Amino acid sequence: MTNDSKSNWTLAALAAGFLGLAGAFAFTKPGAGFAPAPIPPVDPQFTNTATVRMSAAELARTGGDVSGLDCLACHDKGKTLVLKVDAANHAILPKEHEDLVMRHGRNDRNDNCFNCHDPVQLDLLVTRDGRKLKLTDSTLLCGNCHGPTLRDWEAGIHGRTSGHWDRARGPIERQDCVSCHNPHSPAFPEIKPAPGPHPLHPGAPALSGESKGP
Amino acid sequence: MPPSSPQTAPHPDGVSRRDFLRKSAVLASGLAAIAASLAPLRELTDATSVEEFLQKHYKEMSPAEMEAALERIRREVQKQYGLRPHLADLKPMDGVEFVYALNLTRCVGCRKCVHACVAENNQSRSPEIQYIRVLKMPNGTFDVEKGRHDYAPESVPEKGFYYMPVQCHQCKNPPCVRVCPVKATWQEPDGITVIDYDWCIGCRYCEAACPYWARRFNFTEPGIPKDKINPDMSYLGNRPRHKGVMEKCHFCIQRTRAGRYPACLEVCPTGSRKFGNILDPNSEVSVILKTKRVFVLKEEVGTLPRFFYYFDV
Repeated sequence: MTNDSKSNWTLAALAAGFLGLAGAFAFTKPGAGFAPAPIPPVDPQFTNTATVRMSAAELARTGGDVSGLDCLACHDKGKTLVLKVDAANHAILPKEHEDLVMRHGRNDRNDNCFNCHDPVQLDLLVTRDGRKLKLTDSTLLCGNCHGPTLRDWEAGIHGRTSGHWDRARGPIERQDCVSCHNPHSPAFPEIKPAPGPHPLHPGAPALSGESKGP
Repeated sequence: MPPSSPQTAPHPDGVSRRDFLRKSAVLASGLAAIAASLAPLRELTDATSVEEFLQKHYKEMSPAEMEAALERIRREVQKQYGLRPHLADLKPMDGVEFVYALNLTRCVGCRKCVHACVAENNQSRSPEIQYIRVLKMPNGTFDVEKGRHDYAPESVPEKGFYYMPVQCHQCKNPPCVRVCPVKATWQEPDGITVIDYDWCIGCRYCEAACPYWARRFNFTEPGIPKDKINPDMSYLGNRPRHKGVMEKCHFCIQRTRAGRYPACLEVCPTGSRKFGNILDPNSEVSVILKTKRVFVLKEEVGTLPRFFYYFDV
């Protein structure tokens, strides 16, 4: 074989090789070998900043249905209400108020409506020392018993905040006690957790376990 | 040497016409084949632009150069995501040092902070990058090796456990900064450890150095749906990243340097997360550090975090 024909053959082989490569690239997309499992988008409920419930003040401000707060729609004005109790001294709820869950305090000890509500002026709240408060001022009523929590709330270290940490740049937004706590059953409700982290390779052993961590 | 056929007898002073034609045909088809096999390079649209390649380190850029870099990023974001972002380079404020406090008594482990963070900071949705990892810990221990992050019950909190979200602790003595071979990550005067995503070479030393597992690496080009992009961006914060660079929590620099609270704090349904200026004696975090029992995660490693856990009782 001459040098010429040798180089011809080499060139032809190279050309054939590159053409084969070009053909292979034409039929496969680069990087298509790894396809991570699709991750569904997160439900918007897990990124919204709404509180778990609405206080009377919030309800009125946002134009919600406040008909449930109008006591005089059913009750007579100025008439003193008397609470019925059972043998164990627990309040018996009338059927109009059956939807209330009475679980304030350990062992249901605080189930007397008139510990907080005024028995005559039903749209008012009454503190232990007899001051009468509007429904929208309920924070002060809660602070009557929960002093340290009120102190923390006033310092901004209990409860939700949003807006501006730098008061010179803008206001801070605070929430009332009853925006998160149901006054009749104040323990924070159990909620559904947002989805956890998705492993890059499903089926592979979990990153964390009883033996591993950050 | 085999005899060549009479038709292709070499010209006395060079190559025959037939030989020339054959060789040039082979050469041309060879070159065409090489060009065809390089075709996939044309699909490499996300290659580094010349401008980005020649861009200086964040700290060495003049205001005009920074404005040019911001304009380049705005252009790139508009091209990729179809919207023009409000991109700025927010500077630290005088007399401000940020501190975070998290109430372990109140946290219920709902992971809302994780997803608010992802949405705010333009993290990759697929594959998933999350800055916050919520650990479900058995009561009575701070041993993070007993924690799990893959819990999925119907509702939280579960009895017998507490929840400890872990994210970048913005250490005063940050091991991640010390190991960076190219100084692509550093601590700002307001306490936030930041990354210049255009300077990072992706060696992942910082990820290995961090005792809090706070740093994340972009193994692939981030996948963010166009309608999910947050247009409120900062150069050192939540502007879109490329494949091959590190990222991590930066206390929502685009919010906090504008005086606002971080996204994870605003979404927390229990108000467990508190943030503020530790140099202001009346800020929430100052009151917490003065009046509450405070716990520092992995205090013994000497990183001096600006992230504190505290208890109500």
